[in-house]
Amino acid sequence: MLLEYSIIYKAQNHYENWVDDAHWQFLIIPEQNNSQEFVSIDFTNSLNVPNEFSVNAYGFKTIRVNPKMKFKDIAFEADFKLIKREVNPFDFRPEEDIEGSFKKIEELNFRVDFEPFLRTTPLTFLPQNDKGLFVFDHTQSIFENLQNLNNWTFKHLYFKTGVTSVDTKLHEILENKHGVCQDFTHLFCALARANNVPARYVSGYLHQGNGYFGDSQMHAWAEAYIPNIGWMGFDPTNNLLANTNHIKVAHGKDYEDCSPLKGVVHTHGEHETSHTVQVSSQQQQ
Amino acid sequence: MAHSSNQIFTSYERNPALLDEIYESNGEVKEIYKKLFSLYGEHSILDYVKLNEKAKSSFFNQGITFQVYSEKDTQEKIFPFDLFPRIIDPEDWDIIERGAIQRSKALNLFLWDVYHDKKIIKQGIVPMDLISSSINYMHQMLGVDPPGGIYNHISGTDIIKHSDGKYYVLEDNIRCPSGVSYVICNRTALKRALFGVFNHYQTCSVTNYAENLLELLESVKPKGVDVPNVVVITPGMYNSAFYEHSYLAKTMGVELVEGRDLFVENDFVYMKTIRGPLKVDIIYRRIDDLFLDPLEFKPDSSIGVPGLFAAYKKGNVTLANAPGTGVADDKAVYTYMPEIIKYYLNEEPILSNVHTYHCSRPDELKYVLEHIHELVIKPVDEAGGYGISIGNRLTKSEIETVKKQIKENPRKYVAQPILSLSVHPTYIDESESFEQRHVDLRTFTILGKDKEFVLKGGLTRVALKKGNLIVNSSQGGGSKDTWVLKNN
Repeated sequence: MLLEYSIIYKAQNHYENWVDDAHWQFLIIPEQNNSQEFVSIDFTNSLNVPNEFSVNAYGFKTIRVNPKMKFKDIAFEADFKLIKREVNPFDFRPEEDIEGSFKKIEELNFRVDFEPFLRTTPLTFLPQNDKGLFVFDHTQSIFENLQNLNNWTFKHLYFKTGVTSVDTKLHEILENKHGVCQDFTHLFCALARANNVPARYVSGYLHQGNGYFGDSQMHAWAEAYIPNIGWMGFDPTNNLLANTNHIKVAHGKDYEDCSPLKGVVHTHGEHETSHTVQVSSQQQQ
Repeated sequence: MAHSSNQIFTSYERNPALLDEIYESNGEVKEIYKKLFSLYGEHSILDYVKLNEKAKSSFFNQGITFQVYSEKDTQEKIFPFDLFPRIIDPEDWDIIERGAIQRSKALNLFLWDVYHDKKIIKQGIVPMDLISSSINYMHQMLGVDPPGGIYNHISGTDIIKHSDGKYYVLEDNIRCPSGVSYVICNRTALKRALFGVFNHYQTCSVTNYAENLLELLESVKPKGVDVPNVVVITPGMYNSAFYEHSYLAKTMGVELVEGRDLFVENDFVYMKTIRGPLKVDIIYRRIDDLFLDPLEFKPDSSIGVPGLFAAYKKGNVTLANAPGTGVADDKAVYTYMPEIIKYYLNEEPILSNVHTYHCSRPDELKYVLEHIHELVIKPVDEAGGYGISIGNRLTKSEIETVKKQIKENPRKYVAQPILSLSVHPTYIDESESFEQRHVDLRTFTILGKDKEFVLKGGLTRVALKKGNLIVNSSQGGGSKDTWVLKNN
């Protein structure tokens, strides 16, 4: 079954004083992959300055805007349309050789190839005492362990907006046991990596029709690599496997690599920013 | 020539335990220094002082200064200069030159490998730790093919002569090595002050550096560019090496720019000029990796160019040195240089490494903690001589502090035996006489597409404080003109 998705991303910026020079880079375009096919993209800004399409350092598509004029207000609106193949996350050949999988992830070649997604970053740094918070059970498959970790993370933290920010470190999250999707995802990645399983941070959109957590901003989840199967998506905020409702934009070591909007704005004084995301879908005939 | 006939050396005290570069072991002045020795001996120490002062003030007047960073304040200083040159004979230079090229090539291949197939790690020649725990390993460079396959276009190799008479490499600087402008200015100053002495020696020129640098940069131009437009980018006039940035731009005949002079449009880089935008193809950048592009790295960098990395990755502009070279000038990588040279070039190292203990290895850590008083402790990722502790100069409580620091973060430190750097007669203001001072040598190696070049000379750095072993200018060192003699 094919689903057509429409994603509307809006951002508004108001500055107290004139802005002389500004550069923005948006990392919000859905990735083109096996289950996602792109139909159209419409990106506009209220100053009507031309947009530039580029590719960032990790190979993901970006949109850059550099108004060559003074302004105090600017609004952006992106409208993406894409077709998504229905995904059944359980549709894969389960690991037959559990021992072999665990051996594989210990191999030097494997560890070198997946080095970026096994390393500790400032946002996925676990305090020494917390490294053993979730230890994989070697009698179960890596997939089952990851499912359990997904479930464990979901239960260990409770979802609360406004208490953490994009640069909140794990020790603080573990102390207070609350956070939003990026915090759940960082914790999941950190613990998968602590068990030698490559894990990457994914940013994207969640179709919210079904009462999931994820607010009306961009969503985050994780992908973990299982030998002989490949990358699989886990959404620890919702205790789900990533499915048709998850529309991927980019992945990286942590939030830093996937930040949806980066900007360099030359001004002083206060400014207000707001973002909204709306995802809707309809079944295609 | 007897000592007594030489006026300016009458009070020169030789410590027999040190290797003095102008004397043979039997106390005779070395053949290559004899002429110089007698020429300088015709002057009185007062004449010498006057000439030295004149040379120094010419440095100040030309604005050849650098800045010293400390916690308290930042000061502008001239690089103390000494008129007594250091002479390197052609045989010694041959070893240095071949050794420096060998290291640059090996490091370049190492960089290609760690950003592509990582074979050297997969084959277990060097540990994975060298990349996985290096803060200078740049994932953004994975799979990027820099033009001409060159990463470390410019390398600064720090070499010392040990009391055993052999040359050893102390470190490879392949991020933004500086100091080459002093080499050229020292030569100019010496020529001005004592032109006559040059008539007696066949000294290799150092003024050809800029033309070689430009040739190198043009050899790695982006694909499809015919006549490339080269610029030098500087963090600005407050940077410690600003004089050098402007000097190199001027002598290459290219523009010196700051980040705000450039912009990126549709993944091409342009320079703002009064006649409109001008495309830029090659950037000799003297800005650190993380400041290059605020949209990809440090968002608060105001000295970079938004969008520059995307343009680089697309192959529309060349950056020299390439981003991410810092992973290979990590001092932990240094310790694997013999293996790295062997692996990529199938050659034995021409220049030796100083034995290094990795504090990340438990048995070596134990040795280091027990022998701190005989070792130099260095952080693996700092440049400019910052954070170095010399074991036999530390008080008891300082030793405890250093031990604590090492134990807290063993990966951050390496240790080396305290070497006895060679000494060279150096004029000292306070005593108004020549005294022995430790020296090292920074050589400048250029690596391009089918091009390799070592500047025949280099920066001899002098530790001006008596007995001090750290020669970096930021630590109060001075410099000497360095003569490489032509092969007859």
